Amino acid sequence: MLQRILTHSNKTDLVIDLAELISGFLLVGFLWVHMFFVASVLVGPQAFNQVPKFLEAYYLAQIGIPAVIVLILAHMVLAGRRIPNRLQEMKMIWKHSRLLMHYDTWTWVFQVITGVAIGILAAAHIWTVVSRWTINMSISAERVTQSPYFIFYIILLICGEYHVGIGLYRIGVKWGWFKRQKLSKVLDVITLAIIAMGIVSLFVIKSHAGVTGGGGQ
Amino acid sequence: MALRTLKLEIFRYNPNVSGDKPQMQEYILEEEPDMTLFMALTRLREEQDPSLIFDFSCRAAVCGSCAMLINGRPKLACKTMTKDLRKKITLMPLPVFKLIGDLSVDTGSWFRAMNKRLEAWVHTNKEFDPDAQEGRMDNDLALRIYESERCIECGCCVAGCGTAILREEFISSAGLNRLARFFIDPRDERSPDQYFEVIGNEYGTFGCVGLMACDDLCPMEIPLQQQLAFVRRKMLVAGLTGSGR
Ligand code: SF4
Ligand code: SF4
Ligand code: FES
Repeated sequence: MLQRILTHSNKTDLVIDLAELISGFLLVGFLWVHMFFVASVLVGPQAFNQVPKFLEAYYLAQIGIPAVIVLILAHMVLAGRRIPNRLQEMKMIWKHSRLLMHYDTWTWVFQVITGVAIGILAAAHIWTVVSRWTINMSISAERVTQSPYFIFYIILLICGEYHVGIGLYRIGVKWGWFKRQKLSKVLDVITLAIIAMGIVSLFVIKSHAGVTGGGGQ
Repeated sequence: MALRTLKLEIFRYNPNVSGDKPQMQEYILEEEPDMTLFMALTRLREEQDPSLIFDFSCRAAVCGSCAMLINGRPKLACKTMTKDLRKKITLMPLPVFKLIGDLSVDTGSWFRAMNKRLEAWVHTNKEFDPDAQEGRMDNDLALRIYESERCIECGCCVAGCGTAILREEFISSAGLNRLARFFIDPRDERSPDQYFEVIGNEYGTFGCVGLMACDDLCPMEIPLQQQLAFVRRKMLVAGLTGSGR
């Protein structure tokens, strides 16, 4: 009790809550922009090849990628504090969710699961891209034609967008004036649209594999 | 709808009887027209098992004493019709609260502690003058205050909240809803700083992760989402501008 009184500060709790919110928002922004960059392939391979040049010209690659990595780590620590860490607590939440069969409680459980999954999958994704830096049609196409990678990307995409959609919904209901049902519908549509856009982009990238004249070289 | 034969699975455990073990016990009961779970349980106790422990008082969704987990969800037993449920019904006591026995829990101590922690009474330095006319209040404001006051302290929101289940000290939406009532009451002279000190933390407003079970489960349909968001925004402002630590 003594230690708690001495160390506890409400301001800190507030700042941590805000930091979680802001890191979350920034990552949402990043992810959506990222998916639009990927979708540039729908315009054409030239557009797609333009993206890394643009990123480098404005130092978005050199500064942006490390910044995103820091953001992800920060968000993992901040949001992760909510994850029940003792086995018994996990069991309690699982049992509670099973008993209650309540939609929003389940989405929270899935948000935790997708969050952990993203942590692992995104690390692998960043590593494969950065370790062979520069992005162009032929490298990307080659990457996604290896079939486990293709599925890997689809899983990462779905986890990421689901996590983002539910995260935004939760921020909205926690702070907001929105009607929950309406907010959730709007976000569902956005999430599905971006997942669809991402999957189509992946197929288009795949279709460019081995095709010369894709501007890849 | 045709009347059915109901199968009730009821949690049995009396912590005051040494050696008693928690178990589910099955009862068979013929459904009656317009039967509520209150009627069903009373019939069981009168005709089959006088040892069954459960709470009721008003039978009209006013007193809040009959909340229990009905097929896993916290609900008022007196307000729940058997015809809205499937034939097999499971009944368990509310989690979080202290178990008295079988379906009966002690919500009273929990709510009393919560009210003490929030000092849920009007704080004022004004001397009370019994001869003076009562102060006037805007009707809209009175209605807003009344909105939170409709809470019957049944505990459904607490029992449905994942955070409350994990963190014993979490003040829960019932507490935050109560606080909102004093926050908007002009007679209460506490400053935002003082409120922030009590609930501007992980055990209060920032502990809520927004699962919204409370909002979906409150039998009085108090708009708990709006109440929680309101308190959260007020506490954000108080925390950023105030002098609290
Ligand atoms: S919104 Fe969820 S976490 Fe917050 S008080 Fe309600 S049930 Fe608990
Ligand atoms: S807020 Fe609603 S669910 Fe919670 S105790 Fe009050 S009446 Fe019951
Ligand atoms: S008996 Fe009073 S609320 Fe059900």
